[in-house]
Amino acid sequence: MRRRTLLALAATWLALWAGDAAAAERSVTVFAAADLAFAFRELAPRFEGATGARLTLVFGSTGNLAQQIRHGGPADVFFAADESFVDRLVVEGALIRETRTLYAQGRVVLATARGAGPRLQALDELRGPRVRHIAIANPAHAPYGRAAEEVLRRRGLWEALRPKLVYGENVRHALQFLQTGAADAGILARSVADAPEIEWAPVDPALHAPLDQVAAVVRRSPRPGLGLAFIQFVTGAAGRPVLRRYGFRMPGEL
Amino acid sequence: MDLFPLWLSLRVALSATALTLVVGIPVALLLARARFAGRGLLEAVVVLPLVLPPTVLGYYLLVVIGSRGPLGRALAAVGLELAFTWWAAVLAASIGSVALLIKSAQAGFETVDRQLEQAARTLGRSEWSVFWSVTLPLAWRAVLAGAVLAFCRALGEFGITLMVAGNIPGRTQTLPLAIYDRVQAAQMNEANALALIAVGIVVVLVFGLSRVARLRY
Repeated sequence: MRRRTLLALAATWLALWAGDAAAAERSVTVFAAADLAFAFRELAPRFEGATGARLTLVFGSTGNLAQQIRHGGPADVFFAADESFVDRLVVEGALIRETRTLYAQGRVVLATARGAGPRLQALDELRGPRVRHIAIANPAHAPYGRAAEEVLRRRGLWEALRPKLVYGENVRHALQFLQTGAADAGILARSVADAPEIEWAPVDPALHAPLDQVAAVVRRSPRPGLGLAFIQFVTGAAGRPVLRRYGFRMPGEL
Repeated sequence: MDLFPLWLSLRVALSATALTLVVGIPVALLLARARFAGRGLLEAVVVLPLVLPPTVLGYYLLVVIGSRGPLGRALAAVGLELAFTWWAAVLAASIGSVALLIKSAQAGFETVDRQLEQAARTLGRSEWSVFWSVTLPLAWRAVLAGAVLAFCRALGEFGITLMVAGNIPGRTQTLPLAIYDRVQAAQMNEANALALIAVGIVVVLVFGLSRVARLRY
């Protein structure tokens, strides 16, 4: 009886093991900042169609993904939400300097949850009693959180609004606070602000340092050519309009 | 819907439970029976994974098994890679769940009447034989209960796995990671379906086993 149970368990384990698919040969693994998820899911099939390569998309917080690349994560190319992470990995030798490419400049917007009343137009309105919680990404490590803090400080609102702030792990997490109605307002990335549950108003881009979003090919990648091809695809004629539609702007674009 | 995360998670959780049994039972026995210097320290180390935040644990594990870490480099020298493979997910799940097995098994071993073990010894049984024919049969409910808890914890492991195995679709994206990914992508239908599957597995397992073995937790 006991032996039969053990045998059944071992057989189950083996059956699950046998179902493992072999990794595709011409496959590119892309580590990308969470805010690129929507744009890249749309671009992936087009790139696969154009090149015949298979694309594996891994989304996460830029800081986490950078740590993983530092410790040998199997990425071929890295799209960061903030250039500082890329530059540090370039200095450490984990990314190829010559492939470093600016693919967008991030901006923040003032977002209002649809259930929380009329759309907020100006940052000063965040002081009002109808705004109880303001969601931003964590300024300690998330690029858009840092930008949000900078905007509020420049406007002299930081100290006054601090009790209302709630921090998301990254900017998509902050967005979720608004989508679920847990927060009434937020300072979010333009690139995630087209969610149906929220409305947004622009924030003067002069209020924060530009968020240069940079990509580069990983040095350990066995197929650096394909990684570079994906960067060129994203920043080229095919990718540009899609990125624009999702709110990623190049310097000078509006 | 892509069910790869489900199969991967079952495989990882089963493997991790097997690993925790192999590693955990001797430790539990040691803690239940032996009196030695540093016993309190070992007790503390055992429960540490339950106390530390999983992402912190995951980060340090990555530093050890990553391409720059001591273990990672040693493995690479013989052509093996652990970080960012499904074995890393097994390791993560084992570390996250082994304390549950050890504490439960330890409690089980402590309730075993030592005079029965002594009797077996006077009848000429070896220590190995005493364990298999007396100690384990008397404590097996506690060991099995610990194994079930460990399996459930392994199935739900998130933080350590995210760090050391990555969240790579089709390779290391386990069920909890897949659910998180779908929520992030606002694909709530898929997220709900996957979450329902996870709940279903655990309910069937715990309910079924409690019927079969009349386990108490």
